[in-house]
Amino acid sequence: MNRYVMYNFVMVSLLNLMLFVPNILFQYRYHGAVSSLIAAAVIGPLFGIVFIRTITKYPGKGVPEILNENYPRWVTVPAFLFFALMWFSAASITVDAYAVLINRFFNPDANVLVILGVMCVICLYAATRSTLSMLFIMEIMLLLNVPLIVMLLVKAGGSDQMNWDAIRTASNYVQSMPKLAPLAAATFIFTGYLNLSIYNRVLPPNYKFKRGYLLPVFGIGVLATTYFIPIGLHGIDGVSSYLYVWSATSDSLAMEYGFIERVLFVFLILYLNLTLIYTASGWHQAMEMIKSCFPKYKPSIDEHPVPRSNYVIVSVFAVITVAALYLLNEKHLTEFTSYWLIIRMFSEYGLVIWIVVHTLLRRGAA
Amino acid sequence: MRRFCTACVAFIMLSLLMQGCGFKDIDKRFFVVAAGIDRTSNADKPYRITLRLAIPSPKAEPGASKSQLESIDTATIAEGVRLLKGHVDKEIDFGHCKVIVLGESLVQSDYVEALTWMIRRRDIQSIATVAVGKPSAEDVMNANPPSERYPGNSLFLSFGTEGTDSPFTLQMFLFDLERRYTERGLDPFLPVIKRDHMTYMISKVAFLDKQKVKLTLSNEETQMYNQLSTQFKKSSIMATYKGKPIVALLTGIHRSYRIIEQNGQAVIRMKVRLRCILEQAPRGLYNSDWRQIEKAFSDQYSTKAETMLDKIRNTGVDPFGFGLRYRAMHRGSDATWNRWVKLYPNAKFEVRTSVKIDGTGLIK
Amino acid sequence: MLHRITTLFAEAKDLNTHRIHNREFTLEVAYIGSLVDESKVSDYILVPFTKEEQSFKTILETNPSFKKIEDPARWAGNLLRGFVLVKLENAIYMLDAARVIRNQNPIAEVESSVQGPQTALSEDLIDSMNLIRSRYPSAELKIEEGTVGTLSMTRMLLLYDQRRVDPTLLANIRNRLKEVTHEMIGAVGELEKELSSPRRALFPTMIITERPDRVARALSQGKLVLLLHGSMFALILPANFFDFMHAMEDKYESLWMTNFLIALRYLSILLTTTLPALYISVVSYNPELFRVQLAFSIAGSRSAVPYPSFIEVFLMLFLIEALIEASARLPRYVGSTATTVGGLILGQAAQQAGLVSSIMIIVTSVVAISNFVVPIASMSYAIRFLKYPLIVLSIFFGIMGVAFGLFIYIVYLCQLRSFGKPYFRFLGNITKKEGDIGQVNAR
Repeated sequence: MNRYVMYNFVMVSLLNLMLFVPNILFQYRYHGAVSSLIAAAVIGPLFGIVFIRTITKYPGKGVPEILNENYPRWVTVPAFLFFALMWFSAASITVDAYAVLINRFFNPDANVLVILGVMCVICLYAATRSTLSMLFIMEIMLLLNVPLIVMLLVKAGGSDQMNWDAIRTASNYVQSMPKLAPLAAATFIFTGYLNLSIYNRVLPPNYKFKRGYLLPVFGIGVLATTYFIPIGLHGIDGVSSYLYVWSATSDSLAMEYGFIERVLFVFLILYLNLTLIYTASGWHQAMEMIKSCFPKYKPSIDEHPVPRSNYVIVSVFAVITVAALYLLNEKHLTEFTSYWLIIRMFSEYGLVIWIVVHTLLRRGAA
Repeated sequence: MRRFCTACVAFIMLSLLMQGCGFKDIDKRFFVVAAGIDRTSNADKPYRITLRLAIPSPKAEPGASKSQLESIDTATIAEGVRLLKGHVDKEIDFGHCKVIVLGESLVQSDYVEALTWMIRRRDIQSIATVAVGKPSAEDVMNANPPSERYPGNSLFLSFGTEGTDSPFTLQMFLFDLERRYTERGLDPFLPVIKRDHMTYMISKVAFLDKQKVKLTLSNEETQMYNQLSTQFKKSSIMATYKGKPIVALLTGIHRSYRIIEQNGQAVIRMKVRLRCILEQAPRGLYNSDWRQIEKAFSDQYSTKAETMLDKIRNTGVDPFGFGLRYRAMHRGSDATWNRWVKLYPNAKFEVRTSVKIDGTGLIK
Repeated sequence: MLHRITTLFAEAKDLNTHRIHNREFTLEVAYIGSLVDESKVSDYILVPFTKEEQSFKTILETNPSFKKIEDPARWAGNLLRGFVLVKLENAIYMLDAARVIRNQNPIAEVESSVQGPQTALSEDLIDSMNLIRSRYPSAELKIEEGTVGTLSMTRMLLLYDQRRVDPTLLANIRNRLKEVTHEMIGAVGELEKELSSPRRALFPTMIITERPDRVARALSQGKLVLLLHGSMFALILPANFFDFMHAMEDKYESLWMTNFLIALRYLSILLTTTLPALYISVVSYNPELFRVQLAFSIAGSRSAVPYPSFIEVFLMLFLIEALIEASARLPRYVGSTATTVGGLILGQAAQQAGLVSSIMIIVTSVVAISNFVVPIASMSYAIRFLKYPLIVLSIFFGIMGVAFGLFIYIVYLCQLRSFGKPYFRFLGNITKKEGDIGQVNAR
């Protein structure tokens, strides 16, 4: 089912705002952000298509099964734990950042930890569902939210406050070479394909990846929107002073004839849904990775009732997430995220290369 | 039963946890519909804050609006707003504050602090309108138009396209002000509000640099600026033809410009294409040669535009964004900007206008 | 035999036991008078036996209405289901002479339609089967009989199209039916509660319907239908959420309007679940969400209300729920009184007395009206409950709470399964060639 692959891709690419990707890009806007965008637009889809084509050769198997069958445990278990950590931390950063955002814009008087706690409980409930349910949830949430998000982005792009001179000025900085941090940030937009390392378990046996061109087309669209629309609305020099640049951008749009006047609230609610589903999905995958470390574990895609181990693992995730926000402030969170993005890029491509090389070698042996 | 008890206990725990999490009913809030910030002559308390608070009423009919005015002198804006809370019985809420008036005294000294405060606060909308109040913000806030349906409505409707479409009224959003404040090569402008008895008069625009106001245009120039910068259509142009004034209503406007460097001097070539219908003109023009009228319009418009542009350039501000355009056309680096800084004071404007008359209205 | 039967039963006046003789035989007859049609007893047994036009023994052996019954343990059960037991020369026969009191000419009232078929299923299984068979004249229709309820022993029919049904589903349901250990099963609703897999499910996972056309369509889609004796409703399973939102009328009326109506139904359930919670969050947390005018008019009309918004909401919702409940339970001719009085209170007096704001009255009526747009009553009931958790969340978290709640509902719906089939999912175009997700599991 092609569309389920696309959902993962769309979800992650739209979610880049919550992982401070625009902020990192704007930080480097005079020093290589634009060229990093171009580099990412080449690298991202390339790895994506190669990975999807490779992993779909193993129907019904996720990355854990593929590796467990061919490598000794002492190789795979640390790898799984590492990947679990990567997924878990992405999801947790997102939900932490969103809790802070709610606190800023919706309930400034509420305790941010309480809000985060409730969000974690919700994600705990969602993440412990079966893999199949997870995809159904993702599908419904995306179908409900993405059209509105796209409408909002288009509205932002067509705003008469848009200053195209600023965008052209920004693109004039293309000559400076790509840098690691903005490249890592920009490639995050394409990283959704990696979710297949668990979700490949549910894809039908005769699945063939089609319409691969959608990956670069959609990804580049999101990339350009993320980077250039805020510049057009806030100016190239001023854009980096905003902490929540897309919230500010959506607040700059007026719906004169809309039912809800402040676009900001629509935007925040849409992104709340996206954040929750991303976090749930991220935790679910991290949970599956951890469960794969146990020798007796047999993956099952639609288990009812929910096994107790799910609750235990995800509860640990939730507690760590709340503790992280308690210990860190916004500034730490942003810094941590920029490091996380870089590590993510290397580990992601490492995994892709591992799987691809493994497949090629196996084919050569056979 | 046990489950029920657990649920009850959980609920009570939750309620205790939630104490003071921002639950405040709408009737316990005072909505600020307009805020004014002035500079006082007192050095200890340099800011005067004036808030127009709406008194809600279930009926919304013309003239039924009621509001309350609160004003305070304070050392900092944020503290002033806190202090004002002590003057009223309900929580002050900026969520519906659509218009912020900066007093003339403030923009003539330094508006940056006020701007930073506004942009930092989460509850002031980015699409709030900012304007200059003349002679002071407080004075403007005192006006209470008799036709107002609900508090603050007429001030808000004066801007934007929802209510009146006056060619003399430009609108400046808060986020736009912030952008123009930070952007190199694009400077802010603000509409100027004057109180006229119980109503408002908005017919001028003021140009600011990154710190304070530099120039205020006249009514006619404001209209021309509006035509040239935002290509505002619902406006008119004026010319004298054979010693008699002719006014034409615009039906179409298109403007484009290019920046050319000639012998170390920047030349800004602006092309304006206007289409119009005569509105006020002597009888019998229908049978005369329209090309001559068009030429009169074109020449006079070009001259006036060049004068206005020169005037703006001479004060050193750049509300059009010529600098930004220059940056957009050249290699992205600080050197580009530095070169423009040198070029702009001597920049030359060449405006070429072509006016086309669509008709003479309903009579010949 | 007669002696044994009288000892089997508690002393009951309507237990008829006769021993009659003619020239040839001695006949023992036993039946429960209140359950059987006495004319049938005399037509089939008494008259032929006494007239002796034919040997009664040959009648018993040739007439297929008489069935031989060997096991004495089944005597009591059969008597209680309206059979007549006849003993002739040590052979015991039974005859179905049940007299069923049922509603006459049932008209579909719960799921009424304007231009669709007007008849509803009957409380008698045979009449219902007649309606279904005539709408689904297929040789593939398989009917299994059984009973549910250890005490009530309610007769039940399980219908399906044997070629279209999913065999794993069938096995699943047979198992589930065996597990029903309740003493009394009186209506299909009760059976539904017993069958549904999480016992405390928020949403019905089976459709209860009275419309034979819906039953026939369900059979054609390979679904199973359960009919219960004494209940004029059928149970269709499995079902997904979207089935509940479609009235049979949608198939019979103009395409564009019905599509619009379906969209309207989804909008309505969204409104009826979220509106009270949104009212609280807008009034108490984020009044800047809506236009200035709206904010001022809410604030103005609320200024007379002495208590916080959620009490106002609870008050009005209590009133409206009580009103709905009262008009459903009251006899029809008293019912209109309740609605009039209630409508007056809700409409004008409460607001003029300063108990609630005028906006709240609009909210309440929208909530009440849009709740009834859902075509299937069981879903309408389920949705009626959904607003309360959202209200609680909105008291604590405002708009975000409402969003949280809706997210949880969607997750809940997505993880729900109706007999192993997904309950809430976007189907899209699933082609056989590409396959569906989760198919790998089947191997």
